[in-house]
Amino acid sequence: MKNKRGSALVVGAGISGMRSALDLAEEGYRVTLIDKAPGLGGTLRQLDYQFPTDHCGMCKMLPVVERDSASQYCLRKGFFHENIDIMAATELVGIEGEPGKFQVTLRHQPTMVDPERCIGCAACVTVCPVEVPDEFNAGLTTRKAVYLPVPHNVPNHYVVDPAACSRCGECERVCPTGAIDLQLEARKAFKVLVVDDELVVRDSIKEWLEDAGFQVEMAESGVEALEKLSQGGCSLLLLDVKMPGMDGVEVLKNAREMHPDLDVVMMTAYATVETAVEAMKVGAMDYLMKPFDPEALVALVVNRYRKLLRMGEQQFEVGAIILAAGFANFDPASAPDTYGYHTFENVVTSIEYERLMSGTGPHGGKLLRPEDSQRIRKIAWLQCVGSRNLHLNADYCSSVCCMFSIKEALLAKEKSDGQVDAAIFYMDMRTFGKDFQRYRERAERDYGVRFIRSRVHSVEAGEAGCLQLRYSDIEGRMHAEDFDLVVLATGQRPPAGSDELAELCGVERTPSGFFKTEPFSFSRTAKQGIFVSGSFGGLRDISESVIQAGSAAFAASTLLHAGGGSLSRVTDDEPAYRDVTRDPPKVAAALCSCAGDLARAADFKAIAQKLEGMGLEVFLTERMCTREGLDEACRVLRESRANRVLLGACMPYVYQRKLKDLGKSIGLHPFLIEVADIRTPAFPGRGEDRARVTREIASVLSMAASRLQGIDPLPPRSVPLSRRALVVGGGIAGMTAALGIAEHGYEVDLIERSEKLGGNLHRLYRTLDGWSPQQLLEQTAAAVNKHPHISVHLEARVVHSEGQVGRFVTTLEHAGGAGETIEHGVAILATGGSEAKPQEYGYGQCDAIVTQHELEDQLQRGQVAPGDLTSVVMIQCVGSREEPRNYCSRVCCAAALKNALYLKEHNPHVEVYILYRDMMAYGFLESYYTQARRAGVVFIQYQVAAKPRVETANGAVTVTALDPLLQREIALSPDLLVLSSGIVPSNGNDELAGIFGVTVNRDGFYQEAEYKWRPVEFLREGVFACGIGHSPRSITESMAMAEAASQRALSILSRERTMGGSITAQVRHSLCSLCQLCIEACPYGARRYDAEDEVIVIDELACQGCGACAAVCPNSASVLRGYRDQQLFSMLDAALEELF
Amino acid sequence: MTVQTQNGPHEAPDPLAAIGENIKACMQCGTCTGSCANSGAMDYTPRELWRMVQLGLSDEIFASKTFWLCSSCYFCTLRCPRGLPLTEAMAALKRLAIAQGKWKEKKSTKFYLTFLDNVRRYGRVREMDLMTRYFLSLKNPLTPMGFTPLGVKLMVKGKLSMQLPNLFSAGKLDALYRKVREVEGRS
Repeated sequence: MKNKRGSALVVGAGISGMRSALDLAEEGYRVTLIDKAPGLGGTLRQLDYQFPTDHCGMCKMLPVVERDSASQYCLRKGFFHENIDIMAATELVGIEGEPGKFQVTLRHQPTMVDPERCIGCAACVTVCPVEVPDEFNAGLTTRKAVYLPVPHNVPNHYVVDPAACSRCGECERVCPTGAIDLQLEARKAFKVLVVDDELVVRDSIKEWLEDAGFQVEMAESGVEALEKLSQGGCSLLLLDVKMPGMDGVEVLKNAREMHPDLDVVMMTAYATVETAVEAMKVGAMDYLMKPFDPEALVALVVNRYRKLLRMGEQQFEVGAIILAAGFANFDPASAPDTYGYHTFENVVTSIEYERLMSGTGPHGGKLLRPEDSQRIRKIAWLQCVGSRNLHLNADYCSSVCCMFSIKEALLAKEKSDGQVDAAIFYMDMRTFGKDFQRYRERAERDYGVRFIRSRVHSVEAGEAGCLQLRYSDIEGRMHAEDFDLVVLATGQRPPAGSDELAELCGVERTPSGFFKTEPFSFSRTAKQGIFVSGSFGGLRDISESVIQAGSAAFAASTLLHAGGGSLSRVTDDEPAYRDVTRDPPKVAAALCSCAGDLARAADFKAIAQKLEGMGLEVFLTERMCTREGLDEACRVLRESRANRVLLGACMPYVYQRKLKDLGKSIGLHPFLIEVADIRTPAFPGRGEDRARVTREIASVLSMAASRLQGIDPLPPRSVPLSRRALVVGGGIAGMTAALGIAEHGYEVDLIERSEKLGGNLHRLYRTLDGWSPQQLLEQTAAAVNKHPHISVHLEARVVHSEGQVGRFVTTLEHAGGAGETIEHGVAILATGGSEAKPQEYGYGQCDAIVTQHELEDQLQRGQVAPGDLTSVVMIQCVGSREEPRNYCSRVCCAAALKNALYLKEHNPHVEVYILYRDMMAYGFLESYYTQARRAGVVFIQYQVAAKPRVETANGAVTVTALDPLLQREIALSPDLLVLSSGIVPSNGNDELAGIFGVTVNRDGFYQEAEYKWRPVEFLREGVFACGIGHSPRSITESMAMAEAASQRALSILSRERTMGGSITAQVRHSLCSLCQLCIEACPYGARRYDAEDEVIVIDELACQGCGACAAVCPNSASVLRGYRDQQLFSMLDAALEELF
Repeated sequence: MTVQTQNGPHEAPDPLAAIGENIKACMQCGTCTGSCANSGAMDYTPRELWRMVQLGLSDEIFASKTFWLCSSCYFCTLRCPRGLPLTEAMAALKRLAIAQGKWKEKKSTKFYLTFLDNVRRYGRVREMDLMTRYFLSLKNPLTPMGFTPLGVKLMVKGKLSMQLPNLFSAGKLDALYRKVREVEGRS
């Protein structure tokens, strides 16, 4: 892969951080990905199951094109990409410079364990005396101070938690490889002088700091302190403000005169805080308030210590910074109403429940009560804990908890075979995403999850260890019900450290603490060059985070490109490998004896003999995981001149990323090198039978050797790409995508079926946030029209397309019937949709019945004046959220709020009634819902079974609705009845999908490759979707999606040629009977029938090497490179030989 | 039953407007009703009452005994996710009902009135006097019977002092009460 000069820093390695990093890396930029935590994956590390598939699928984020540049295994275990430098346990502590040229300072928190030397034997864990709650299991289990941050990570190295560690040094002593260094000496050399007139204060501080490993001196007065300072050797001064004789500030001045670089922290009582603050102006670095919290005091000293010694700090230059710091979960214990959290053990948060249910959780996946391990029979979910609550500064909806809880309830049902009773207590069930509504109905109808519209006020003790909930149902009847477990659907908060980050970046924040972004963008902050990605920007689920991460990567990429970052960096070319295609296979095996450890567990002599019997050359090496070990292995392999290499080592994943270097060093293509896992057979706990271990290792190695001997030595081919994009649809999504790609210097053809660009934007005059869509339209359309790289084709439609990623040939038909053929490498489908025409509630019978768009239009044109109105009724979910249009259109509640607020603003006396099912005021929209309520808009909830009735007579409209609270009919006679009819996809979507070989879902929206992980891609490589043709969304959301889609497109366009994967399918044409079964079997659309040449053609870039075609082929004509029949048979032979 | 809401800006100013202003942001989640210790005895739950305020059903609201039964425990105010002053709104309804003479719930209203009168007279509550006047005001000879067991209990514990009512004492707080009435703008 070519590297570009530009580089970016991504802060936070959760889903969005990884996505942003991968997006930029695939485009060829260098990325540094850091995370505060000692492992990658963010919140997703803890989640085993995700909506809507109810299992994981994170690995689908990995590159599809140029697969071999990144890891190809479970992403929850870890990952690498050759353009990404990953740094765990690292924080961003400094930003200087300007966009395109930031000088960033990172600080690495030492884990005190050398990952190169840690062999994961767990000897340290056995001796560690400290036990603390384990964050991985949300505190439901405990761990030692030396621990594995994520138990399933690969490679997995222990780390020391410096906050918990008591520095007893036991682990350091027992570590067999000397991997642990607690840096006790360095701390001992750091001398702290504590100056206070009270003995008890001095003594306690001395004790705490000495426990933490520091050297402490004491002085009881200013005079004594100065005397001790004059002797030198002090690194930090802890100085009391108020002392008899010479006071703190005076001591400070004198001390600073003596040692200008001395680090001083003031200690003060509440009364003298101002003096302490004053002291900071004359050189004190910080102050501590009495009475001291030992933990905070030690943490502050450790911090100063690390800062002073500039430990673990490094500086480098990056062009752009992406903040993907994620979110924090609301802590119910911090609220006035705790719902019994921390009082009752059986009250847990959603994350805790997730761990409770997990196979790696405290009960191995069994649903047992945390308090007494009794079987769980009834579970209640309480929604909106810490969200939609003005007491808690949360005038927002956390957006994810509704689906989260439904998923958890469904899983409880599935895990218990329907035995567990699951009840969800909610106010509005916000199923606003694609297919959310059907998922909810499935939970209710097929699984019997109970949905109870009620907000429970508190949790009390019930019978037999149960918890009692007292609540009023919608009709006002009181209920008291016992549950075994109460799950609090805790909302989102800005993550810890966002204050510091905001200050560092100089970015303004919203009242609730989230980063402010620019109009019509979720990723651009007011500070150029600093972008926000994923849920850090506030309240997003996985799918939206992934989209938004793409949009952030796109923004960064645009900046880097504009700064000349796309210019190729002068790097060494693709290494010249030896041509071994004509040589007979000669395999050399290098086996790691793991510092003699493995050699003790198995008979290496016998193993070597066996391999030599197969014609292999065998070398024994030691500790191949270390640099020296690998260098030694390289040396012997280079000398052997073998043309296939087999490495026998512990964790194959670890070596995957080293293979390129190894290949370069011995002149062999990495795909001719194989790593076999010989450590697992000798794992502790699997018996001490040396003969068995020997047999198993021999078997693993001979299998790998057979595979290598039969491997096809031709390296994967590189394929040329057409660097031009086709964008279909000239609405805001299409225009944004086209502009985005064109800005990067590639040619774009923008196809629009109507006579002008803009789509739905023509019918929108304002947004809830007060921005102008018309201005946006004007600017964007102007930019598109004058862009030298964009050719706009109006009144044109796509009639035919063929080819594959990198080489599509598409035919257009212009208004007059003239045709035109375009060659392009990628296609983006942004064909949008429109407001549905209502079929119900008397629409069309009377001028007083209009849609939301029509109302907005009439208000804009002055056909309706708010001052003339006395009463307006709006009905939500018209024709939506029930079959056949059983989806939420997501924008109509916002549109209703927008128009209602507009009416109220221009005529406070107008009565506005909104008849709704669930107000989908997700995310920050909630604050507008609050505003509308405050403005006096009356919201009346209705059930599908009892919809409002509309009657018209002589142009007058009467609406009758049942108020569920009062159980009474309410009759309204509005001047206007406004119907929120939702969005339907544009009618050409399915035809266009057919032309490009992709699909639409049953509602006519584009069917993405994977809802959560690949939301803007199709299974067909090289074709992308964005905007409301994919699913209903707002202007800003559509634009973010368009940016994400263009970023994915850029990862293909950025190369002149691209490499196929090393494992791809091939066709032996002589055996092929053209039955075309393989075409149907291929899940990636990578195979097609070429009618001209009468052959099956494979798109090597799209093929992911899954092998479905090889399995389905009746003639064995379809084969998988690297997994030919012969190879597999000899591997089977080798595997079975040892057993019989 | 069908509720016909009154349309429009042309109506006389709604006496409920001030209370409605405070309640507008209510989203009918039902936390107040769930929290209310007295909701079982009310004819409308607090949530229903707030809905009626939003819909401007003033006659029915004043006919209801819900707000009279509010014991001002402040649980609903504490727990309301919208942070609405619900207990204060209950009190405001009581004041409004008295001011407009629109009350229907005799027992509670008479008690409140007698209580205040007692304070006006003596500067504090005299239990015996309060009880006598309260029972007299209800004009129902059977009511005191129901309270007999409680009365006996209180007497045994010495919580009731046997002072006779002073029918002619001029209240020393009269001036204060007058001023309050003046401030509140009613006679």
